[in-house]
Amino acid sequence: MQIQSISLLDSLILTLLTLLLYQGSVWLQQKWQIIWLNPLLVTIVTLIPFLLFSNIPYIDYRQSTQVLNALLEPATVALGYPLYQQLQNIKRNWRQLLAILALGVIVVITLSFSLTMLLIHQKEIAIALSLKSVTTPVGIILTEQMQGDSSITPFAIIIAGFTGGLFGPSWLRLLRIRSDIAIGLSVGSASHVIGSIIISKDNMHQGAYSSVALIISAVLTAFIIPLIIPVLSIFFT
Amino acid sequence: MKNIIYTTLAISLCLGLGKFIHYAISGLPASLYGMIIYCLLLQLGLVTPSRVNQANQWAIKHMGVCFIPAAVGVINHFELIKNHGIAIVGIIFITTFLLLTFIGVLAEKYLATKSGSTLPASRY
Repeated sequence: MQIQSISLLDSLILTLLTLLLYQGSVWLQQKWQIIWLNPLLVTIVTLIPFLLFSNIPYIDYRQSTQVLNALLEPATVALGYPLYQQLQNIKRNWRQLLAILALGVIVVITLSFSLTMLLIHQKEIAIALSLKSVTTPVGIILTEQMQGDSSITPFAIIIAGFTGGLFGPSWLRLLRIRSDIAIGLSVGSASHVIGSIIISKDNMHQGAYSSVALIISAVLTAFIIPLIIPVLSIFFT
Repeated sequence: MKNIIYTTLAISLCLGLGKFIHYAISGLPASLYGMIIYCLLLQLGLVTPSRVNQANQWAIKHMGVCFIPAAVGVINHFELIKNHGIAIVGIIFITTFLLLTFIGVLAEKYLATKSGSTLPASRY
């Protein structure tokens, strides 16, 4: 099956195939209850060999499935609802909370960007890696806005998600950090939705705080990253 | 069904407003303006929370599929992964632990006692 130009039919087939593979891997994960079987990861690992064997160039696949990419925007808007649900949880100390999360965003962007520039010397990759703690839809949109490489972002985000979600709670316990708010906020801001899902299974309070942190951090990142990257870039040219 | 249409309309309206603001003053991406407006309208009661609840939960649960087209782009990066894969994973690992520590320590110091949430971890 060699696709020469993108027809409506090809587009339909590729989009449906993507939906089916994704739904299938969601079903597998639910059936086996294995957290590592992340549906996004499983779908990509099956799709890539398929595209390679059937000689479909990435650009054609991307154009055929642009409906899905376009849905990123309304999906991001929908995150306003959990944010609304959590507002009363954070009303009391909102100033400190914003300050702490904003500092965290500045620290993580600066470190990730600088380390990547030092080791890999590619700005597109450095931008993608500095957005790894943000929830995926916002991460992809921001990477594209900053002219980073948005195909790296989802992987970086998944790795950051599992790192913080699986090891975060024990690491924080080692540091004698015990409050639900501190554990929730730090896992939420470092490991976004994946971290939030993992810790919510054990403790709903931590889960609620982590979902506040991940949404607010995403908004703060959108404000901060266009200011920081140009400044940091001066040091790496 | 009515609520699905209601939710879709509410989200589309917020996204539309977001696009307008993005066009007028740029700054944040349109969808993030949309998200903030959506949250505000819910808080002000202009959008009824109970009517968007179900469709909204559904949308969030299934939004993962929208990430696939961007993520498959890694197909063009086998060379990069071969050369720098370990460095990339290392950077993500180190900075994630640093961020966890940073937020954890600050939140424990400045937020934990005040918000009264230093209860022993409650299991659900």
